[in-house]
Amino acid sequence: MGKSYNTIAFDSNKCDGCGDCMTACATIKTGTDDKARSRIQIVGSETDGFELALCRQCGDPKCVTVCPAAALTKNFDSGVIDWDASKCVDCLLCTVGCAYAGIALDAGTGHVAKCDTCDGAPACVPACPHDALTYITTSRIYNEVGGWEDLFAPGLAGCQGCNTELLMRHTLRRVGPETVLATPPGCVPGMGSVGFNGTTGTKIPVFHPLLTNTAAMLAGVKRQYKRVGRDVTALAIAGDGGASDVGFQSLSGAAERNEQILFMVVDNEGYMNTGMQRSSCTPYGAWTSTTPIGKGSGGMPSQGKTQDAKNLPLIMVNHRCEYVATASTAYMEDLYDKLDKAIQASKRGFAYLHVYSPCTTGWRFPTDQNMEVARKAVETNFVMLWEYNPKDGLHFTHSADEPLPVTEYLKAMGRFRHLSPDQISHIQGKVVENLAFVKQMAHREN
Amino acid sequence: MTTAILETPTQTQPAKQKVILCEGNEAAALAVALARPDMVAVYPITPQSSLVEHVAALIADGRMDADIVDAEGEHSVLSVLQGGALAGARTYTATCGPGLAFMFEPYFRTSGMRLPIVMSIVTRDGITPQSVWGGHQDAMTVREVGWVQVYCETVQEVLDTTVMAFKIAEHHDVMLPVNVCLDGNYLSYGTSRVELPDQAEVDAFMGVKDVNWHVALDPHRPMAVDPLTGGTSGKGPSTFVRYRKGQCRGMQNSLRVIEEVHEEWAQRFGRSFAPLVEEYRLEDADYAIMTLGSMTGAAKDAIDEARDAGKRVGLIKIKTFSPFPVEALLKSLKKIRALGVVDRSVGFRWNCGPMYQETMGVLYRLCSETGSSLPSMSFIGGLAGADITVGHFHRVIEATESLLTKPAPIEPVWLNERD
Repeated sequence: MGKSYNTIAFDSNKCDGCGDCMTACATIKTGTDDKARSRIQIVGSETDGFELALCRQCGDPKCVTVCPAAALTKNFDSGVIDWDASKCVDCLLCTVGCAYAGIALDAGTGHVAKCDTCDGAPACVPACPHDALTYITTSRIYNEVGGWEDLFAPGLAGCQGCNTELLMRHTLRRVGPETVLATPPGCVPGMGSVGFNGTTGTKIPVFHPLLTNTAAMLAGVKRQYKRVGRDVTALAIAGDGGASDVGFQSLSGAAERNEQILFMVVDNEGYMNTGMQRSSCTPYGAWTSTTPIGKGSGGMPSQGKTQDAKNLPLIMVNHRCEYVATASTAYMEDLYDKLDKAIQASKRGFAYLHVYSPCTTGWRFPTDQNMEVARKAVETNFVMLWEYNPKDGLHFTHSADEPLPVTEYLKAMGRFRHLSPDQISHIQGKVVENLAFVKQMAHREN
Repeated sequence: MTTAILETPTQTQPAKQKVILCEGNEAAALAVALARPDMVAVYPITPQSSLVEHVAALIADGRMDADIVDAEGEHSVLSVLQGGALAGARTYTATCGPGLAFMFEPYFRTSGMRLPIVMSIVTRDGITPQSVWGGHQDAMTVREVGWVQVYCETVQEVLDTTVMAFKIAEHHDVMLPVNVCLDGNYLSYGTSRVELPDQAEVDAFMGVKDVNWHVALDPHRPMAVDPLTGGTSGKGPSTFVRYRKGQCRGMQNSLRVIEEVHEEWAQRFGRSFAPLVEEYRLEDADYAIMTLGSMTGAAKDAIDEARDAGKRVGLIKIKTFSPFPVEALLKSLKKIRALGVVDRSVGFRWNCGPMYQETMGVLYRLCSETGSSLPSMSFIGGLAGADITVGHFHRVIEATESLLTKPAPIEPVWLNERD
């Protein structure tokens, strides 16, 4: 498994072109304040905007490919592309090969020069007075999880582009093999996680509870291991229908008893595995196979679901669980943080994680729009990302301020195609109302 | 706990046993403690409630080391135990009536997963009409779901059978859940003298616990529990069929195991109960009445009185109702010329009692083997807590006797219709 590295990220919206970064770089690398000799170059203008000319420390670096002298090499420990002066023939081919103007002739030395990240503490970053530069990795998950075993077998029979499969694989990697997994009827076992006729898609103990008794059955498993002194994580990956409708009693009961289990709900807003029927988590106005579109009777057209979605995670907050959070696969760092917290919380009591999971088949959008749909749901506040524990209360983990209009979300999929202007304004109104409600809970003293 | 110790053990008793006075629900709870389950799940319902209260008190007093789960309903009660059993726990619960009805979804599944869960049914009549009183309708309604079901006659039998039920359920040739049925009101609250076996003796009787050797949810031996089967292609249908056939084999095996376990119990503890079918004064009988559960006590008194009056009548009591003890019953039926079957519930489809309905299948076997039919009739009594008295049984005896000379009525006789 490869590894990803920190890079210097640039936010052009914050940059005013002051050049302090270039001065800092020139000072540390050349002992002068000659900005022209800086490895980082800010180009452009106030009117056209500023851009960054800097080595990106590419994973597949063209400068290395074109160098005839092998003077440039990718260092797989640091991630930096190292330049070896003793091998360089000063041909400058690398400056042509790089698309980012990340390597250039230093007139002061007569050789090329490039960013070496100052051995992991780049001088330019703290020099920026506007925080336009940050030295970060965007791939913490890749580095941490990439080498871990995928505990689901390849070739699960989910729909093409299934977001739930992505979520399951990440979740099980994180939770690890000392786990018992409950997958009540729905998409999760439907794609073969428990298996079919003697085969299984899961490498850890896995079972079909009933749609109705997931939390109770899993609690029994966990209690026995606790009794005999074994540390086994009890994990449920359940659909929204089984959790919010017919399985709600056992879920609520287990939460009240503070059973030590991690209950993850994959909310694709309906009974997608059985053919996209309505659940109580289906949003207002949505087409499903049991809330179809038609001309109706008595002048009342059938226009999708006529009720708003049940907000299951907020109901779980009112159980005062050890941990409750909402998450989205479009925000994987956030999801992983919450998964970590939920795993820890499940060693003390009931942990509940509600993941909004777009369904390409049931929501009617192309598979390549999965992340975009998931992201737009959050950006419009159609769903909100927050977490709760009894000590710290509820707080947002992603800003709900300045949302996009909800139409940006609704128009991304076919299940809302039929909506009337009145229906859209109902949904927008509910988005505002929901935000106010969650904010009220977030501000409540606990 | 209000248990009163009446006597100290005597030399004549085969094993060290305390003698106490208690109701049937407490006897069941004490038996559960003796069997040392890891996990019990409880939810109250009349007339079972005092049973789970006794269990809770035993645990609270430190007289029983089990994880008690106060679940939010019977559906979760059995579900929690399924999870516990799959992780290796010996498990127990009790329910009745509407609670059993609510539990039906996981109830059906327990036998399919071959989980040796023991559950008392403190039998109660079915609603509606609304009733909180005893009757066998609840247990009878679920008789076709693959649980072993045994019915007790006395409080002592409740205690002894409840311990034995764990051993029967966990026998490797059985691996099926077991219902110990004790009559609501009559046994649940009936207080009587009971001999309480010694814990060490029971431990020796029970042997080593091994409840999830065949199917487990355990990271040390990962497996998928209950993957999808069936369908019309691949190995699907055959997998399903072999599961079902295995369940039926386990049920049939249980007939032998129930006999063996009762025999061992008699040897260790000196108390003997007919494991499948009990015959009472049947050897020289011309005809017999057939009973189930606590009604049998009054029935035996009536038989004795009828015998004193010169009537050649005997009694057949069913202890093991599921699986139905066909061969054992067949032997008993060969001894008589007329039969009256008393049920404490109704069979809606056949307009008779369910036990009578089951017995008719055996009567067909009898006819096939002997070439002659045995006249029989159905009595329904004791519904909704009604008492079936000695007087009622005299009516039953008289009507059954008439079958020797007159044609059998098609309609059942309703014993408590005018009570």
